[in-house]
Amino acid sequence: MSKKANLRACVVIPAYNEAEAIGEVVNNLKEKMQKSPYNFEIVVVNDGSRDRTSDNARKNGATVIDHILNSGAGGATSTGLSYANQHDFDMAATMDADGQHAATDVIKGFLKMEKSNSDLLIGSRLIDSKGMSKVKVIGNKGLSFITYVLFGINSTDSQSGLRIFSKRALRSLRWRTSGYEFCSEMLWRAKQLKLNIGEYPIQAIYTEYSKAKGQNNWNAFNIIKSLLKRRVMELLHE
Amino acid sequence: MSRYLLLFLLNLPFIAAAILNTTVNYKLGRSSKRSFVFRILFWVLILAGLALAQPIYDFLFSHKLTESEPLSLFDVAQITGIVIVFYIANRTRAKLDHLERRVQDLHQELSIKLSQKD
Repeated sequence: MSKKANLRACVVIPAYNEAEAIGEVVNNLKEKMQKSPYNFEIVVVNDGSRDRTSDNARKNGATVIDHILNSGAGGATSTGLSYANQHDFDMAATMDADGQHAATDVIKGFLKMEKSNSDLLIGSRLIDSKGMSKVKVIGNKGLSFITYVLFGINSTDSQSGLRIFSKRALRSLRWRTSGYEFCSEMLWRAKQLKLNIGEYPIQAIYTEYSKAKGQNNWNAFNIIKSLLKRRVMELLHE
Repeated sequence: MSRYLLLFLLNLPFIAAAILNTTVNYKLGRSSKRSFVFRILFWVLILAGLALAQPIYDFLFSHKLTESEPLSLFDVAQITGIVIVFYIANRTRAKLDHLERRVQDLHQELSIKLSQKD
């Protein structure tokens, strides 16, 4: 397949202690992206891991940005997207480092972004939640509902880590929270900037490893607490 | 001088400074319109409460809604102290928030620059 010479895509993978899975995730993504019509770069943001995440990612051909301090998923994603913006990429994607997302879904997102006028595309695991445990479905639907109540954004999967960003979104989108709550805050900021938000269905791959690494459901309460705080603080200070 | 007037005069500079800071931040584009309106309303309400402290007390007392003594000098000092603490806490929180953002940005930029050196 011939490359679209002018279209450059960056895939950002925030990673914390993912030495076991990151090599395969990068390798698999690289293989699929080579067959895609894009010139690409894979950027792993190593968020202060204590294992060999950084080495394994580099060994498999990724550009690695090492965070000096652990900043959380929101901070690592922000660093990766800032890199994509500074290097003038046309599009960027974020995906999880635990192998939960299929490389083909990333390419599907890039293709959809090109055809649609969206600035931010969310890969929704809940349009077809086959393979997802009921607890995860309820937890994610609950957080999407909270996102709707707090920010008025209707998304089927507000917590999905697979997202595609247009150049416009890369230039303007910033958020403040550094933990997992950034997923909802990002949608809120996109709405404030009047960016077009879209969704497309993706498949969630749950292996024993990704199940063990995944978020604890109780973390949902921390996310809600942090989002409420951010909502109130914005009224007082910004 | 009436204690109610003293209470109002002692607190007026802090509330005026808070309203001025809020307005300046909004005019410099550092805060949203919604946040500006919310914060102005907050301080104006406190100012109105202090300006109308005597009629409010008289109203509450005549309707048997308060059994407290009329305003003492200690009350004046205490309420002024609370307003000052509120003002300082608000300013400190804003500065901390700003600093936190700067440190995050610095960390992000440093990480990217250092990775390019490798």
